Amino acid sequence: MRTLFSLLVAVFLFTGASTAQKGDVYGKAPNLKTKTKVSTIFSTPKKFVGKTVMIEGTVVDVCEKRGCWMEVAGDKKGQKIKIKVDDGVIVFPVSKKGHKAVVQGVVEELVYTKEELIEAEKHKAEEQGTKFDPSTVKSGKTVYRIKGTGARIF
Amino acid sequence: MSEREKKVRIFLRKWHRDIGFFIAGLTIIYAISGVAVNHIDDWNPSYTITTEMLQADTIPRALWGEQKIDSIVVAHLKLEKPKEVFWESDEKIRLFYEQETIDFNLATGELAIETTKGKPVLKEVNFLHLNKPKKVWTWVADIFAVLLAFLAISGVIMVKGKNGFGGKGKWIFIAGILIPVIFWILYLD
Repeated sequence: MRTLFSLLVAVFLFTGASTAQKGDVYGKAPNLKTKTKVSTIFSTPKKFVGKTVMIEGTVVDVCEKRGCWMEVAGDKKGQKIKIKVDDGVIVFPVSKKGHKAVVQGVVEELVYTKEELIEAEKHKAEEQGTKFDPSTVKSGKTVYRIKGTGARIF
Repeated sequence: MSEREKKVRIFLRKWHRDIGFFIAGLTIIYAISGVAVNHIDDWNPSYTITTEMLQADTIPRALWGEQKIDSIVVAHLKLEKPKEVFWESDEKIRLFYEQETIDFNLATGELAIETTKGKPVLKEVNFLHLNKPKKVWTWVADIFAVLLAFLAISGVIMVKGKNGFGGKGKWIFIAGILIPVIFWILYLD
């Protein structure tokens, strides 16, 4: 019984130590040597499609239901990039809004028709419990986002 | 029943009982979290998010270009200094606090205060079930799974007689196995 108890204490101490690391890692820890500015990705997006990048910024929004995406602010006013992860594989907590994050993943290009864009925005609004007016969408558009493989959120 | 068979059954009963006691708490934690996470399409299993819509005075357009516009907005709304600020556009600002996110439209005065609070108990059980601690907890969860498998196997074979696997038990066992099999047949592509 004593051995079992000592083992349990050791397990919990180690568990505690592992969570005390700087920042919380979701998925694979970002490990690229250089960071890419979000503004650089948006200025020449086609150059980055299919490439793995590591970005840094403030988490400005998180999927409220599944935690399956988050938006990270860019280095320029009004800029943000969506980080999409596989449902259930990585779950970003909504409590991380406003926290700094380093994210790694592959840049994706999504081409939406007007109808597809309305549907996507409608779905997002439903998830976030916000309002969406379809008349604000005038045409389709190309969206660039990151298919996230991992993030460290501080 | 041979002497060896008897010894095996006593061994299984003893360990089935002790391991059952040992992992009862963890099983309940995983069960509660399992139900909560199973309904993820309907709610956030770990957090309660509420949004309050308010109306504030607008900020004159002439001030929008000011260098200290962040501080002007914060003072205008009588708020404390935020942790982070994000400008969604020239007229929309998002202010981040520990448990609150505040959206303010300078042009219309629309103010949305979103509060995020952890659901008591569920946040804690989901933290473990979804393996947020990682590292050693991964091992704890793996050992828990092995012990659960041991309970299942020992439970099936340790009872003898008409209620054991050789009797009524096997039919109940088959009924249990049929549940996932039916779902695989009907829904698996």
